[in-house]
Amino acid sequence: MRKETKEYNYDWMMWRIFEAASRVKDGSEKESRELLNYIPSFKAALEPMFSHGEVGTSYLRVVARYLDNIIHAKERGQKTAISTFCFSPAILYAMDVVPITLELLSVMGTILWKRGTSEYLEYCCEAGFTETSCSSQRGSLGAYLAGLGVDIDFVLCDSPGVCDTNANAFAFASTYLDKPFYQLNMPPNLTGERSREYHRADFRSMISFIEEQTGKKLDQDRLREILIEIEVQDEICDEIEELQRLKPNPAPVEYPLFIYATRFLFSGMKEGTVVLRNILDKVRENASLGISGIAGGEEKVRALFCYIDHYTTNFRMWDMLNDNGVAHLGGILSRQWDISSPLSLEKGDPEEGYGIRTGSLDEMIDSIAEINSRLPMIKSIRGPYDMPHMWLEDNLALARMYDADMIVYSGTPGCRNTWGMIKLFARDTEKQGYPTYIMYSDAFDDRVESWETTRDRFEEFLKVRRLV
Amino acid sequence: MNNPFMDIARTLENKYIVQWKENGNAVIGYTCSYLPDEILYSMGILPFRMRGTGAGSTSIGDTYFGPFICSMPKCILQLAGEGSYGFLDGAVVIPGCDSMRRMDDCWRKAGGDIEGALPEFFHHLGVPHKAVDYSLTWFRQEIEEFVAAVEKHFSVKINEDRLRESVKTYNRGRKLLRELQELRNLKSSPVSGAESMAVILAGSAIPRDIFNSLLEEYLAELRLRKNPGTKKRILLAGSANDDVELLQLIEGDKAVVVADNICFGTRFHPDIVNEDADPVSALAEHYLFRSECPRMFGDYKKRYSILREKIDSAGVDGVILQNIRFCDLHGSENGLFERDLEKEGIPSMRLEREYGPMVETGRVKMRVDAFLERIG
Repeated sequence: MRKETKEYNYDWMMWRIFEAASRVKDGSEKESRELLNYIPSFKAALEPMFSHGEVGTSYLRVVARYLDNIIHAKERGQKTAISTFCFSPAILYAMDVVPITLELLSVMGTILWKRGTSEYLEYCCEAGFTETSCSSQRGSLGAYLAGLGVDIDFVLCDSPGVCDTNANAFAFASTYLDKPFYQLNMPPNLTGERSREYHRADFRSMISFIEEQTGKKLDQDRLREILIEIEVQDEICDEIEELQRLKPNPAPVEYPLFIYATRFLFSGMKEGTVVLRNILDKVRENASLGISGIAGGEEKVRALFCYIDHYTTNFRMWDMLNDNGVAHLGGILSRQWDISSPLSLEKGDPEEGYGIRTGSLDEMIDSIAEINSRLPMIKSIRGPYDMPHMWLEDNLALARMYDADMIVYSGTPGCRNTWGMIKLFARDTEKQGYPTYIMYSDAFDDRVESWETTRDRFEEFLKVRRLV
Repeated sequence: MNNPFMDIARTLENKYIVQWKENGNAVIGYTCSYLPDEILYSMGILPFRMRGTGAGSTSIGDTYFGPFICSMPKCILQLAGEGSYGFLDGAVVIPGCDSMRRMDDCWRKAGGDIEGALPEFFHHLGVPHKAVDYSLTWFRQEIEEFVAAVEKHFSVKINEDRLRESVKTYNRGRKLLRELQELRNLKSSPVSGAESMAVILAGSAIPRDIFNSLLEEYLAELRLRKNPGTKKRILLAGSANDDVELLQLIEGDKAVVVADNICFGTRFHPDIVNEDADPVSALAEHYLFRSECPRMFGDYKKRYSILREKIDSAGVDGVILQNIRFCDLHGSENGLFERDLEKEGIPSMRLEREYGPMVETGRVKMRVDAFLERIG
């Protein structure tokens, strides 16, 4: 790692950038425009967010707030926990713990910095990781391993049984940093009494672990407030998802990212609800006008992203979608599984979704355990890909519901889990009539395949398959 | 001295399997060491730990798996696609890691494309990644479901007396393997790592009673063998290895692998299954709690202390920490092992390698030789 990279903590740098960016729009239009000239390095990354008006600025504010919580946790007397994107932070907020979600921090650096997070990625290898480990954790974990982040109190993950490479990163971090570790372990089946009991027992055991680490008991009232707020957020997202079924899709291409990132940052928190409400307002407005969310206004192709997006610098993946008239229909990251969500209703299996019950403490814990077991990846990438409730079934249901013209896979070479089945998945989706594009790039590391190449190949696919 | 195990280790279908099948008995293959062999054996079914031994390419494996996947499951799938696993009447996929977990998906798909590639009985055994009371309950239930599936498919019945007998037979094998390890621990170890590996591999490929008898005879012969004991003493740890040649390559004429910490090796053999308790519960507990695999996340300290104990018992001069490319679990844990072992003054070397037909012997040999010089 270069000496200058060690000058500042990674999370502190992200906080300063987002904190400043979140205030750019506080002044007059002219002031804001002039201000952008003072941040040439970040201008191209921030402008797409500003272009979304209140949605973009409220999103920036919420990211800044999240980072502010991390930076100031200790002086506010709070504990910090490293965690993963497929782990609901709601339980941590209920227990007054500040979540540090590695993948979100990796996305920030990848999008903002020309060089991406390469030096932190490499640092993980210096510390002992394999170079083939997933870049989504390594992109920011390298900073914490190098002591370039706030002090961590403990490590939590819920990917064992779902994504071992992900779980391995957290287990490694816990050993390397000598911090306590808890893993929620997922059985291969989602539904059935055995799985339900397992999820519950494991979640209760995790609560005991967190109580032990914080020295505080789970606050029932706080948990209830958070669950009620999750219900509010779910209702908003359900409506957004319903509106995305319209042709043209009224949601701009960046919105799926804003939606899932907000939920990963502030599930069950009012801060998150503000952003989601702003998104809903804009989508409603576009829907009432019958216009597409695509920047150019013309929807040519409807693309379902079956896994993650590509987070290359300056939102260039979203630029590519806008430039080609490709509507982003979201994917498993931006969906939630409350029993009233369009996807749950479409699939019609009441056991597949979660319901929120806020009566007794036991009911609440069971509810949050259910929510957690139905988060992206945790829900549908645990068992064999073509079994009930799993990846193929979910994506085919989404493709049908949203009348997708194509399915796009973007991931990381570190993802053994999806790379172990993507060829089979694509074969099946193609058979069902959905042209399926597999990106061979790394969503978090442009050195694996340059963005220009990724874009060329994607556009070639659109042409060869006569999608545009 | 003739090593009766070497041929068994270097092939898939051996003469004992042929005989077993001729007697009308079934064979079930499995992909990971968490399957309690005792259960199948008690039901008159031979459990066979699957390997990629003899795969000449990964063309079939590459058709189904993506590019960033460990070559071991690819080699196993290759052999299944080529018909080399035609002697299997069933297969059990265990989510030992992500690559192995996806074997379930890929093999089923290949079975649809290649006639005879997929055995009629095919089962997914969900082994938890943690050892606590509720995961033990889960695992026990998984075993019960597995038994029910086997009973139904093969028209057999599990019998408690026969299961207890099977546990005793396997325990006998474990004790014999412990004796083999004691010989390896001797300063003038009479047995090479490659020979020992062959013994251990045979243990998961032939009927256990026969294995026990052969091993008893072999141990008696070994006790008479003389060895000057002047070679470097190596412990081999990390990813699954079923390749006797890798051991031979490491040993050459300068070193002897006196201990291992790999899942085809001695990792699962030292502890004895409780013979007095309810056998299914005892087996579930044994296989789940005695694990030393990094798939059991968060147990690094336990695994490190076991590794240290092995190093001390065998008087090791250096440790080779190998992993198959894309094996992040062992590869990353090897990084931690290397850090901690070197801190304690125990020379260690990390070695990433390919499995099966891609083995790069020249590079591996050069690195091993350099390591041996370092600890010289």
